[in-house]
Amino acid sequence: MSNDQSSQTDTLSSAERSAIDSSVASPVILFFGTSILWLLLGSIFELTSSIKLVWPFFLDGLSFLTYGRTSIVSVNALAYGWATPAAIGIGLWLTTRLCRVPLAHHKLLIASGIIWNLGVFVGVSGLLIGDSTSIPLLNFPAYSTHILLLSFALIATWAIVTFFQRQSGPLFVSQWFLVAGFFSFPWLFATASQLLVWNPIQASAQSPIAAWYAAGFFNLWLVPMGLAAAFYLIPKSIGRSVNSHHLSLLAFWSILLFGAWSGTSRLIGGPLPAWMVSVGAAAGVMMIIPALAVALNLHFTLEGHYAPVAWSPSLRFIVSGVLFLLTTWLLSAINSIPSVNSVTNFSDLTRGLNLLGYYGFFSMIAFGSIYYILPRLTGKEWPSSCLISWHFWLALSGILLGASALILGGLIQGFALQDVGITFRSSMDFISPFRFCAALASILLVAANLGFALLFAGLLWSTRRSGATPTLIAVREENSQEPVAV
Amino acid sequence: MNKLTLLFTGIVLTFGSAWVGFVAYPVANLANMEPLPDEETGGLIPPTLSGLAVAGQKVYAASGCVECHSQQVRPDPLTTDIAKQLGKRQTVPRDEIREHTPFLGEYRIGQDLSNYGARETDVAAVHRHLYSPQLVSPWSNMPSYSYLYQYRKIVGQPSSHALQGLTGSFAPKAGYEVVPTQQAEALVGYLLSLNQNYPLPESPEPTAK
Repeated sequence: MSNDQSSQTDTLSSAERSAIDSSVASPVILFFGTSILWLLLGSIFELTSSIKLVWPFFLDGLSFLTYGRTSIVSVNALAYGWATPAAIGIGLWLTTRLCRVPLAHHKLLIASGIIWNLGVFVGVSGLLIGDSTSIPLLNFPAYSTHILLLSFALIATWAIVTFFQRQSGPLFVSQWFLVAGFFSFPWLFATASQLLVWNPIQASAQSPIAAWYAAGFFNLWLVPMGLAAAFYLIPKSIGRSVNSHHLSLLAFWSILLFGAWSGTSRLIGGPLPAWMVSVGAAAGVMMIIPALAVALNLHFTLEGHYAPVAWSPSLRFIVSGVLFLLTTWLLSAINSIPSVNSVTNFSDLTRGLNLLGYYGFFSMIAFGSIYYILPRLTGKEWPSSCLISWHFWLALSGILLGASALILGGLIQGFALQDVGITFRSSMDFISPFRFCAALASILLVAANLGFALLFAGLLWSTRRSGATPTLIAVREENSQEPVAV
Repeated sequence: MNKLTLLFTGIVLTFGSAWVGFVAYPVANLANMEPLPDEETGGLIPPTLSGLAVAGQKVYAASGCVECHSQQVRPDPLTTDIAKQLGKRQTVPRDEIREHTPFLGEYRIGQDLSNYGARETDVAAVHRHLYSPQLVSPWSNMPSYSYLYQYRKIVGQPSSHALQGLTGSFAPKAGYEVVPTQQAEALVGYLLSLNQNYPLPESPEPTAK
């Protein structure tokens, strides 16, 4: 085990810790609460779109509920309504804890939270009335992205200022990820909005920029924020330090470098210079390095201390999230190889990989973090361990069913689309049972999200103070020596 | 790595490298393309879009068509797009200069449309397809764009624009007709303008094997 201080989570006393936690409570609860509303709305639109793919007559003939609009509403509501505010909430809490300063300017953060949600609301309404830009992940019309960028500029400024005011000491690995995320997202979002939405450049130059943004949104924004939580909460929960400083370094820099370059691999054969696709494919394959570095580092940290994963809700969700990130990156690396990508491109396999990355990795980590953070902010415990267990199993089975159906079906569909002897109609016949499974998986995910929303509301309204035992989802073994902070 | 400045510098360099490659390079090299002169007709390659087609681009974007339909022909021998007659040659950046946003698409839930106008020339057939996709292909999972059409009672003479050939459950009741709105006319105009059958020096048609 490394003795390097950058591997230690923190050395705060519990009184200091709770002072910091209560100072950050109101903005973080605002970000979490609104994000869960968007999560519900986004997943209901996702379910609607999945049903429409199987049965096109469902809610047909209404302009604002045509497939082309429900599918972008679900993607954008989940990306900007759920994932981004959840990442911001986790980031704010981690930043104050790790910089060891109570939160300053919390009214500024509350204001930016309200502005952000206003921007998402305006954006989603714009999509429903048909103002989409048709750029993947940047569908929101220009009038809403201005609002979003303003809000995020306030948040990022606050985060950077807090970092410069921090109590001196070595930077913990989660802090590297926080700085990278808070710094990359405004750069990505401002560049892409300016060049593609506000003052669009000629269409011939737009596709590499759009691909760069889409990859950056995941690899340079959601991944750093999710991993910041994982690298803090996993060691914290089992009372150990991060296993290897060098593996952390390798993971961090390889994510930043290869993650930023990997976007163009999916534009194979597309209208852009061939070198861009080659570089993207090479970087995509190299993502094996951070995948293994993250997974091995966290595995060695947990080795011999896996038992709490059974009873701690936050650990169980976070460890599953890390495993899904490993799966996503390994499968994406295989999918980046040109001979594979030329077959799977345009198939539903991409939807499967997105489900694994966005829901399997990020949402699971966000759920786990909220399970950990919220009782500490409010001083209350989660109302029902049974419901937490249902949430976990519904989410896990939804992801596994949906992703495996879309990936297997996507492979078959891809080979059918590639084969000169197979008609387009047959490629649709092949994929349709898999799309049916994916629609079933969407039902499971809506149910999981609903369970989580009920738990969140239950906690806020309950009067049960903690000091009683924390809510566990399995019986803790009595003879266990694990120092678990659930 | 305990200094914030060191961390910042590293992030700027790694992130900035990809920014130079995927943002600055295309802005400098791909964003100032001109159409080529067409020596045979004296026009331009790619041909300038009609006003109707430009209006149709907006309807195409608003309806989210790009969610299911790609608009790119990939080259031989990497893929079989050309053998499958989606187009005669690879789509290149210059093909997109008429568009506001490139509708490349991520999925082929529906057919590729880069050369839809070369396969289909009948305005009435396209209207029928948009209004009632399952009338044209019963197996299709394409949504109906009936909201771009007006279902109305015939007053006096039937409209000359009314959709013909709607049969079965898609047929309007007696005394009623289905008339395309301006948006539907524009969308059809745009769809029929999708045709990359002009020669570009940077994308020669592959010679027959």
